Amino acid sequence: MNDISPKERLFRVLEKKSVDRPPVICPGGMMNSATVDVMDESQLFFPDVHKSALAMEKLSSTVQQRTGFENFGIPYCMTVEAEVLGSSIDFGTRECEPKINNERYAASHDIIEEDPKTLIKKGRIEAIAKAGYEISVKNPDIPVIGSLTGPISTAASVVDPLRFLKELRKDKENAHRALTYVTDFLIEYARVLIDSGFSVITIADPTATGEILGPAMFNNYAIPYINKLADAIHAMNTPVIVHICGRLESVKKYLGTIRGDAISTDAMVNLADIRNSCNGITVMGNMSTFALQLQTPSVIQRVTEKLLRDKINIISPACGLSTTTPIMNIQAMTETVKNSI
Amino acid sequence: MATELELHQGLYEAVVEMDEDKAAELAQTVVDSKYDAYTAIENGLSRGMDKVGDLYEEEEYFIPELLLCSDAMYAGIDILKPHIVREESQSRHTIVLGVVEGDTHDIGKNLVKIMLESAGFDVIDLGRDVQPSLFLKAAEENHAEIIGLSTLMTTAMPAMKEVVDLLDKENKHDKFRVIIGGGPISQAFANKINADAYASNAAEAARIAKELVSGNSTVQHRLSAQDA
Repeated sequence: MNDISPKERLFRVLEKKSVDRPPVICPGGMMNSATVDVMDESQLFFPDVHKSALAMEKLSSTVQQRTGFENFGIPYCMTVEAEVLGSSIDFGTRECEPKINNERYAASHDIIEEDPKTLIKKGRIEAIAKAGYEISVKNPDIPVIGSLTGPISTAASVVDPLRFLKELRKDKENAHRALTYVTDFLIEYARVLIDSGFSVITIADPTATGEILGPAMFNNYAIPYINKLADAIHAMNTPVIVHICGRLESVKKYLGTIRGDAISTDAMVNLADIRNSCNGITVMGNMSTFALQLQTPSVIQRVTEKLLRDKINIISPACGLSTTTPIMNIQAMTETVKNSI
Repeated sequence: MATELELHQGLYEAVVEMDEDKAAELAQTVVDSKYDAYTAIENGLSRGMDKVGDLYEEEEYFIPELLLCSDAMYAGIDILKPHIVREESQSRHTIVLGVVEGDTHDIGKNLVKIMLESAGFDVIDLGRDVQPSLFLKAAEENHAEIIGLSTLMTTAMPAMKEVVDLLDKENKHDKFRVIIGGGPISQAFANKINADAYASNAAEAARIAKELVSGNSTVQHRLSAQDA
């Protein structure tokens, strides 16, 4: 297996087949790895790059070369979906990723549904698809990962988030309607990405945590819509990684019902323990992003070695990287994994 | 007809059970029966929200429940507030609260505001993406005792230090105590930037704020030790 390509290695892991060593990746989206160091080097900067296919193609290529991550990750934020669905976006600064300025709707029952086929022609979707296409054609051996914002987080970026959280209890009918609407859109968005050459899809749903929703709502709302999206992506012959934020104690019993090909978690979670209690689920993670930002390369090397000893299936940052993370630390992480054969 | 105590218990239950209509109805009964509005808030609604804070910390309630309970509390408060006979000597404590510059995530800050108001604080909410100097300005204008800073983003953490540094530079840190919190924040970070306290969740923020203004607490002891 000496000549196994990064793409094949990731696919084999996601299919639960044996590999020489874990892949080391960073999917993009919430887990953006376009840091200020990389931007300086490529002379392509936030926020201008977010709207340009060419700039995204070049920036993601520099990220991949300089960090050593074995994938390309696009986009660099979690606002693509909300923008398309009509919320206003603050595109941020060089150091700060785009964020939601104002959600389009005050409440779920205000939502005016648009055809997903129309929605996918809006906003930055075409530019993202084109960037992914160009990269995938030029780099057939390295996976291009498309990052989606999960259903609950997308709904809470289109409807006032506090109102939406209350509706999960008080107006279930409209909350489900909103979630169905955004999930149907996310499925079509995923289809555009897959048709353009993206080989893996990651779903990150940071509003859908056990800590925010509690176990009952996590099970009643987060999992069914994530699974609906994951099933649709599987039907397009594409693997899915699901990232769940925060502590998992309260929702551990439900994790095994998530139909992703791997589960990625935050740094405080014991991944080996999750794998044991969830029937050998494929686990991804979970290098502390605080360590990556604030520690030295030798500390990062030791933490990475611990992840390797624990036989974590895919090694990656545990959460969103700070844009001011030093490139040396990221390289220490990726090099340690690559030298582990 | 319900006794005053029964009404207080009813208001308590309305908050804990997330029943906005019941809270409003019982608050109106308090007013119609000419019972004391302030006691009804304190022994009914606010006590209910204390219980909700406990349930949240015990992981019985989560954020949707916390929000609905606070809606019930405010429904009662809106009716009772105009009827409060307040003695001017009765001291209220003021806290200035905001998400620091560079960050717009304000769910956590809004939860802290709810818990502080239910604990009896006057909260000056500066909103999100707030410049450092505005915290100091608002604290002075409103005679606040505490400044509360929140962020979810590591990139906005230096802005917290800027606020504390500004207070130190202007010799105002004794006057305004600083509580910080949010996803990436820790006690270690609070120590590092010389903030006065760290709160890991909204209920704890309200408890620490009460301790800070009561002058008789472990927080205060820690502060004295730090000052000395």
